[in-house]
Amino acid sequence: MTWSAAAPAVTAAFLASLVEVVEAFTIVLAVATLRGWRPAAIGTTVALALLAGLVLLLGPLLGQIPIASLQLVIGVLLLLFGMGWLRKASLRAAGIIPLHDEAAIFAAETARLGTQQLRMQRRLQWVAGVTALKAILLEGLEVVFIVIAVGAGRGLLVPASLGALAACVLVLAIGAAVHRPLSRVPENPLKFGVGVMLSSFGVFWTGEGLGIAWPGQDLALLSFAALFLGAGLIASAFARKLGVEFA
Amino acid sequence: MPMLKELAAELVGMFFAERWLAVALVALVAATGSLVDFAGLDRLVGGAILLFGSLILLVASVCHGARARTC
Repeated sequence: MTWSAAAPAVTAAFLASLVEVVEAFTIVLAVATLRGWRPAAIGTTVALALLAGLVLLLGPLLGQIPIASLQLVIGVLLLLFGMGWLRKASLRAAGIIPLHDEAAIFAAETARLGTQQLRMQRRLQWVAGVTALKAILLEGLEVVFIVIAVGAGRGLLVPASLGALAACVLVLAIGAAVHRPLSRVPENPLKFGVGVMLSSFGVFWTGEGLGIAWPGQDLALLSFAALFLGAGLIASAFARKLGVEFA
Repeated sequence: MPMLKELAAELVGMFFAERWLAVALVALVAATGSLVDFAGLDRLVGGAILLFGSLILLVASVCHGARARTC
């Protein structure tokens, strides 16, 4: 395994996981603020155990699939997932759809749990734990997919997992220090960048799955990323213009 | 059960949130594969079709989304 082959996968897994973990952390923090760290920690632990089970279940299965088929399937899924992110980030950058606001999500989740607090006092710990579990499970599913998708095609599952783990540790460390939602994380530029990387991986692996030998091999990923970045920026400029025309 | 439904919806939404884009991308991959495998098209040309087709679909999808939200 060379660094030039592993770096794009590790970076993509790290940045994508950073976005997802920040979103999950906001909900878990809301739960912990209202109901204490116990239900938040239990919900988080159960969700992490379920996700680990999923990885343990899927991991050996991936080894049974022929590499070309695996690259094609994962490549298409990455294209769908990455271009979905890139599309949304372009529309957000153009001001067509509102930016993701961690502070607002934290306030809404706190208010939702507060309302339930009045309604069902006894079931509160349970509701708080399930809320944390759901947040980790839903965002974690995306992290698992991203790690598998950027890692499995080239036997880079371990480096990609380490990238995701580093993102978790970073968010938890900063979150524990500041003890509030990480609303200053530039989420849309991050999503834009991750969308660019995942879409590039998607085209690269779909092509490899179809038997295309890309010129420059792994280095082709850099050209793809530059092209997707350019296309995303052009699309965002067009969208902004359309928004102004129709406003 | 509601949570399982939510999980399933999340999984489907991860890939098919934007239906128009998803269908177009799958069609592009299928067309590229067919051209390369059955019509004997040079694989590199197939790669170029896949790459530039994806870029065009991205721009078209963002413009389509902007028009739909601003009209």
